[in-house]
Amino acid sequence: MAQVVVVTSGKGGVGKTTSSAAFATGLAQRGKKTVVIDFDVGLRNLDLIMGVERRVVFDIVNVIQGEARLNQALIRDKRVETLSILPASQTRDKDALTKEGVQKIIEELAKEFDYILCDSPAGIEKGALLALYFADQAIVVTNPEVSSVRDSDRILGVLQSRSKRAEEKRDPVKEHLLVTRFDPARVERGEMLKLEDIQEILSIPLLGVIPESESVLRASNTGTPVIMDGESNAGQAYADAVARFLGEEKPHRFLEPERKGLFKRLFGGRAA
Amino acid sequence: MSAAPRPDTPPRLEPFRLRGANFNLLVLRLLDPRPEAVVPAIGDQFRRAPGFLRFAPVVLGLADLEVPPDQVDFPGLIAGLRGLEIVPIGTTGGTPEMRNAAMAYGLPPIRSAGGKESEEPAPAPTAAAPAEPPASAPPPPPQPAGAMRPTMVVDQPVRAGQRVWAQGCDLIVTATVNAGGEVIADGNIHVYGALRGRAIAGGGDNAEARIFAQNFDPELISIAGYYAVREGLAGAPIGRAVQVRLTGERMRFDPIG
Ligand SMILES: Nc1ncnc2c1ncn2[C@@H]1O[C@H](COP(=O)(O)OP(=O)(O)OP(=O)(O)O)[C@@H](O)[C@H]1O
Ligand SMILES: [Mg+2]
Repeated sequence: MAQVVVVTSGKGGVGKTTSSAAFATGLAQRGKKTVVIDFDVGLRNLDLIMGVERRVVFDIVNVIQGEARLNQALIRDKRVETLSILPASQTRDKDALTKEGVQKIIEELAKEFDYILCDSPAGIEKGALLALYFADQAIVVTNPEVSSVRDSDRILGVLQSRSKRAEEKRDPVKEHLLVTRFDPARVERGEMLKLEDIQEILSIPLLGVIPESESVLRASNTGTPVIMDGESNAGQAYADAVARFLGEEKPHRFLEPERKGLFKRLFGGRAA
Repeated sequence: MSAAPRPDTPPRLEPFRLRGANFNLLVLRLLDPRPEAVVPAIGDQFRRAPGFLRFAPVVLGLADLEVPPDQVDFPGLIAGLRGLEIVPIGTTGGTPEMRNAAMAYGLPPIRSAGGKESEEPAPAPTAAAPAEPPASAPPPPPQPAGAMRPTMVVDQPVRAGQRVWAQGCDLIVTATVNAGGEVIADGNIHVYGALRGRAIAGGGDNAEARIFAQNFDPELISIAGYYAVREGLAGAPIGRAVQVRLTGERMRFDPIG
């Protein structure tokens, strides 16, 4: 059975699209047939992060309005064979998406794919509601700051009351917490919320902690999902999170500030 | 199930039935369509409990009326009830024709929030009234076991934007009430996690209601219409286990445990 996974947050700019691209790529690298859908109609970012913007001909709105077949709109990734992208439209507005239209697309994708990732727009209005409506699982992306946590809390409430699973009184949407842009040094200085505080408020299982990292910006500028950068801590943290998502046990990393102190500089790699 | 029938009234001929409903309004289920039967009977019943229903909005229950709509004297009923300071505001149950007939006299059908009328009888007015000397009062009817509303228990966090409403009962939350979340109860509120949102107890005017929180850090607290917002809680033991209650018109915050 295909799993529909929404990547959502409430608050904007916290790393949903970055995380959608990383997770989709990571799942596909592990052999799962994966498609990632950009629900952010009007803004359209996912294709840039995935590096396929020049290959976009048709988009999800064209499919819903019957102007293109789903297969014409799907972009097959050139790096990872089992990965596809369904881009959003840049020109239409969010009202172009309908529940019936999205349902038809998801049903059709479910025949071919193991995982259907939905990259949600920010907010808790129509576009975000539609992105989460069909979800079986939710990756709730949160930054270590009060407003982001509050919005994630709100979106969790929405998942529990307005998703299809909630409406049909089936088992609830399975929730995962993904903390991104985590800066251990700033947390230590008390400028950002501690991990324990975030977990205490949201009280859902922690899937991963992605450190604040320049590699993310570098990756999006080159259109390469950061998870493909095995050197970077953010890439490794995403790879760990994908492994946990698939049921593996992995200790959390990158939670402490890097100690680039005198000791390390003096003795370098030979200290041990 | 009757609401304290007078000894000289045969139980089968009870002219009305009073029931609570889960929209927190009283439903007056008409068993007889005739104002001249219903209105005096209500008057008799409630004379023993002065003020019990004064200006109380009631919903007329039409389901038990077994006559065609044109034989129900709605204007007479409305006027009679208003004479008793009982204000009918709408209808529930009954056939569509019956509801339409009532609508013509300004009584719209009202849908209860849970979709179903509660089966518990409302508390008998005699129980609420200390007025009558015991000698002349009939013995109070035994309270049916189902009359007590069970406490509402919530095991999930109450999240920003969510509202939990325990109507006619106490509320227990075993998790946290997050900032932006709201818990409301007609009775007491217990929060066994952190209370960071809003808590409103003693809905209506139950000044005896209290609020208990394991970790007291609320945005707003209210009991029986008296309230305090965060700015007004400077003296309260924030972050502690706390009990809140009203003493007169003042809210008291006491550490517990
Ligand atoms: N771990 C990280 N380290 C540093 N920068 C990051 C990290 N994650 C995301 N960013 C940056 O944050 C910005 C927002 O990221 P992204 O577009 O993924 O967020 P979003 O939640 O999808 O935003 P929107 O709500 O607008 O759709 C981008 O500039 C991205 O490069
Ligand atoms: Mg985005």
